[in-house]
Amino acid sequence: MNGIDTPEEGLVDRRPIITCAGELEVFSALEDSLSQALPQDSCEWRRALGRPIRSVHIGANFTPFSPSGLPKGNQWDLIRQPLFHVYWTECTDIDAYKTTVRDDIESWLKEITARDIPDWLIVVVENYDGKRTNKLLPRTTVLDKIRADFAPKQGDRCISVINPGRVETRSTDSWRGLVGRIRHLILVAYARAVMRLEDHVRHQREKRNEPGWNFMQYFHLQEELAQVLEMLGLYDEALVQYDELDALFSQFIVNGHIGDAASWLSQFQKPLERWHGLKLGPCKLRKDPSLLELRAYLFAKQAHMLLLTNKIWDVAARCLPFLHICTRELVLLDVTAPAGAISCWLFLACMEVLHTCDRYNQADQVEAYSANTACLWAYASRKLRDLGELCGLMPGEIPTSEQLHTVVGLSAGMGDCPGPSGQPSPTDKLKKALSSQEAFNRNYLELAELAMGTYKHIGHLRSARLIGREVASFYMLLGETQKAAAFLGDVLRTFEQDGWRELAAQAQLELAECHRKAGDTRRFIRACAAVSAAPEIDNLIRWSYFDEMQKCLNSLDKPLVVPFEDIIKIVSVSVKNDGAVMQDSNIEVELVVDSSFPREVLCTSVLISLELENKEHKKMKDKSVNSGRTITTKDLKVHNSALQRLHIQRHLDYKQDKQLSSASVVCRNAPLKRKDSAVASQTSNFDICLEISTLPLVLTPGVNIIRLTKQATDVGKYYLGNVAIHIGKFNLISSCLSQKLIVEVKREEPILRLDKGAAALLSGLEQIMQLSLTVGSYTLPSDTLIKLVASRGLLIQHLPNEPLASSLEINVQNTKPFSVTHMPLRVLAELPSKDHQVTLVCPWASKPIPVLLSFTPLLSTSWRLHTVQHRKFIQITVTGQTEQKLELSMPQLDVRDKIKIIGLNVTDPSSQIITNGLNVSFTWELLITPSIESPTLKAQFSVHYVAVPEEETVVNDTMMRIHMYNFDLTDYQTLYVVEANVEPTKGNEFCRVGALCNLNLCIKLAGHTLDDTSIGSSLMYEVLAEQSIWAVCGRTAGVVSFETDLEPQTVVLDVMPLNTGYLPLPLVRLSKYIPAESTIAEKPRKSAETHPRLEPFSPGQVYNLSKGRQVHVIPATVNDGHVT
Amino acid sequence: MAVCVGIIGKDNSPKYFTCLNPDEELGFQYKVLSSLDVVEEKLSSGNKTGSDMRELYLGMLYSLETHKVYGYVTNTKIKFIIVVDSTNTALRDNEIRSMFRKLHSIYADNVCNPFYIPDEPITSKSFDRSVKHIMTGA
Repeated sequence: MNGIDTPEEGLVDRRPIITCAGELEVFSALEDSLSQALPQDSCEWRRALGRPIRSVHIGANFTPFSPSGLPKGNQWDLIRQPLFHVYWTECTDIDAYKTTVRDDIESWLKEITARDIPDWLIVVVENYDGKRTNKLLPRTTVLDKIRADFAPKQGDRCISVINPGRVETRSTDSWRGLVGRIRHLILVAYARAVMRLEDHVRHQREKRNEPGWNFMQYFHLQEELAQVLEMLGLYDEALVQYDELDALFSQFIVNGHIGDAASWLSQFQKPLERWHGLKLGPCKLRKDPSLLELRAYLFAKQAHMLLLTNKIWDVAARCLPFLHICTRELVLLDVTAPAGAISCWLFLACMEVLHTCDRYNQADQVEAYSANTACLWAYASRKLRDLGELCGLMPGEIPTSEQLHTVVGLSAGMGDCPGPSGQPSPTDKLKKALSSQEAFNRNYLELAELAMGTYKHIGHLRSARLIGREVASFYMLLGETQKAAAFLGDVLRTFEQDGWRELAAQAQLELAECHRKAGDTRRFIRACAAVSAAPEIDNLIRWSYFDEMQKCLNSLDKPLVVPFEDIIKIVSVSVKNDGAVMQDSNIEVELVVDSSFPREVLCTSVLISLELENKEHKKMKDKSVNSGRTITTKDLKVHNSALQRLHIQRHLDYKQDKQLSSASVVCRNAPLKRKDSAVASQTSNFDICLEISTLPLVLTPGVNIIRLTKQATDVGKYYLGNVAIHIGKFNLISSCLSQKLIVEVKREEPILRLDKGAAALLSGLEQIMQLSLTVGSYTLPSDTLIKLVASRGLLIQHLPNEPLASSLEINVQNTKPFSVTHMPLRVLAELPSKDHQVTLVCPWASKPIPVLLSFTPLLSTSWRLHTVQHRKFIQITVTGQTEQKLELSMPQLDVRDKIKIIGLNVTDPSSQIITNGLNVSFTWELLITPSIESPTLKAQFSVHYVAVPEEETVVNDTMMRIHMYNFDLTDYQTLYVVEANVEPTKGNEFCRVGALCNLNLCIKLAGHTLDDTSIGSSLMYEVLAEQSIWAVCGRTAGVVSFETDLEPQTVVLDVMPLNTGYLPLPLVRLSKYIPAESTIAEKPRKSAETHPRLEPFSPGQVYNLSKGRQVHVIPATVNDGHVT
Repeated sequence: MAVCVGIIGKDNSPKYFTCLNPDEELGFQYKVLSSLDVVEEKLSSGNKTGSDMRELYLGMLYSLETHKVYGYVTNTKIKFIIVVDSTNTALRDNEIRSMFRKLHSIYADNVCNPFYIPDEPITSKSFDRSVKHIMTGA
């Protein structure tokens, strides 16, 4: 069966025929080696008409010469006639030649030339002996003679050859010469013959439209030409001949269909009786072929030529068009054939070609193999299926007797074509496949799988899916719904990917049927939903599927989650709240969806999930967060990253010396990421979600506006996630909104403030402050207590008639969000305190809030001690500190310890009004006994005051209040009296400027201090003279002691007045003098304090008698002045 | 002349589809869809040769027993597919080419319409009429 590898076998022998004449026994010795040697080497074949030179191999057949066998002139089929004539002679003897051989050659040549045959050769075979080589060469040889006699101008027609039977170097050369000469001459002759044939073919073709012309005759004629070319190894040119025949035939049929059919066409219009499978490889055309047989033969020949030129894949590529042409021509010619016969034939042809290609399929050629055979596999599977349908072999069918008959008929028509054992021929296979359903199923599925696999391999995914669809329908018939569903799923996905919605809808329909058959309610519902939502499908169908879906929904036991896809389209989602949402208020979202369901559907709930902001969100924030409040269909469109603009940036590389090294462009956002084929559907979390308030909701076909709300209980940023529509347990869930909408839920904390009025706060007066509470975004609990704690000296009260207290607890009355409550707070700070603080303790704040209050004292109080000798006076001055006018009354000084005091004050209180900067003084005399030591006094001054209302300022507090002022009186008793006196020096009458005067100091003890041990008895006096007035000459200070002498001490110092006029006397200060050696120190003192110390006296202890006394100083030249 | 015309966008989804016999439309859709495989193959192999002036006409994409499918791709990767009845032997390659050229021209006109959004399915009635005109070869 496989004759392709040995092309000679079975090939019509078109080798040129060479006749031999002369001494045939000489030739017969050489015949074998010559016929072998001829085709071994190639020879250039030059042709006329500018055709390219081809190198060919040529062989030859040898026959004895006979004049009757010679072709006649103008005969076209020279190929089949003797082409070349050789005369062989061994004669070496010239005489012998002259007597016999010459005549013989002459008569031979005459026969040839009589027929105008120029192709002849005379070969003289020489048998050299070793001995004869030594001889002198004869003057003339037989060859020379022959040449001179027969071919005086064509020297190449005569050749001598040394018998190659002897092994000699010279003989191989001469032998090669002979073979080459013969080859060349044959080719010349052959070329001429081929030319003649071509002319004839052309001539015949031109007559094709004449009546009586027969295609088959012409076919054989041109095929002869093809065979000649094939014989010469010019397979491509042979193929051209077959292609021409093919085209010519096709043209005839087409023309015949349009116009008048050629009469010979009728022989192809016979009803089809045989549909033997196409066989590639050597084959013979049967006489009177049917259309299919002729076509098959022609294709086999073409395939043969293609295989010989190593174009295996062209065979496969030509196969399908060839099969299509055949079927079409069968139709055009009205060839009647039994049902299925043509399918059989087509199937067999496919399989034959595929088998042949399989044989040539090698690892490195799988690509080419797949590219060319995929459609053949598909075609074969389809044809087999056609047959299966025809013969009742499809699953679920039982062949009728009629169909069984058909099978028998078809099998008979295929004929017998057994393949080698183990390799069943296509015919065997088909017969087997048609014999039983099981075999048919197996065969069909195998073919279909192969077709799909091959298509997938060459990237023809769509074609593969379409076959998958057919396979799915087959599996459906088989009842293997699971496999069918898998195939349909793939089909659906491909259609959807390409956006062929109508086809996708069809696939859904098939899928629905598949699931229905499988009894898979859940998947069935899913498919039904898709079908009923597909606008491409007829409304009636949609309705029926919708109704079925509704029916099935009741039987769902657990929720069925189905993505929105095309069932429900989100038109827009918009957040209706302005700005952030306050806690406890409602988040409102308006969802506009487009329902594709053909009828109204009752939704049990509509939800939009809210996702609390997390890291992931923050990451993608810049990309896809919609800052607006609405997203529409446009935003929801999934952007194809492959179609997005690339962000190309300039990129420059610099060398170390800042020179440009390279410039390039880079794309930072690599868009060529692998897209996950199946994006893991995020398990959407509907724990927090917006809900619809009015349920149930009827979702009408078309646009629906749904309002969703949710009370914002927790603070945070929320992203709108998925939309879900529940119809009972059937949950439609959208994909996550690709553009994120943010809802921010905020909480505003309550604010508690304590504010003073416009005027400054005054201590000592009750004033009103404003306590204001602004409730935040949430309602406060009704038992909320605000606690106010005042610092010491500050009293507060919020109720009008309650006494002031240092701490308060206020129950918040108005707890509604954003309500504002103002409460007047009465505040009283004690005089003369300034800085206070009120601490606000609220339950919502973790820390108490301190409010610092700064008070200005209403009035200030000061006291002074005045002394006249032993008498003591206390002066208390009350100064107003604020603009507030105060009326003072009932001043009172309370001195304990039985010491009497005498008030020296005005008794009428009405005039005592003070305001800022004004003061009022009160004076009391202390009645003390000079001789008795006076105790330390604790004095308390009190005065009543009341604010005087004025026109512009409203005074809240008109209560009479008491201002208390405490002070201590210590060491107030007069101990010493000092008297100073400036006198001119003796002999001078006046004190003069520049003249020394005497400063007489007289220090006396006040009587009662004698026994007082606590007072040191040594005093130091210092003259503190104003330096511009007095110059103290000599000593300025001194120590006097009353330890031993209680008499007044008098000290005279020298001073010099520096100015004229009445000058105040130099001031004399007395201090307690504690000598260094004093042992009084009870405490251990440091060694550094062995120096004497001075301690000042308290005011009142020293009475300066001469205070304010002046001395009149006259100029130096003027008469002496006197002390006044 | 032509029995079916399809215009396929660059994303391979149909933008326009019509056939003489509306009942057969589904079948033709399958045919045209599978022809896209061949179009893609041709386009990807065509890139390798790197000729600047690409021939828009792709020739016959594939043939079926009953129909032949021809393809044409614009420079913006819009694919025109014409399905021809294979029994119509009178139809030559040149005529198919000219059909494609006409189709391209009216498609360009349609795209120029400011009311047409590129890449959307074509619903224009006048476009439909023109296509039908080309298909029937009148």
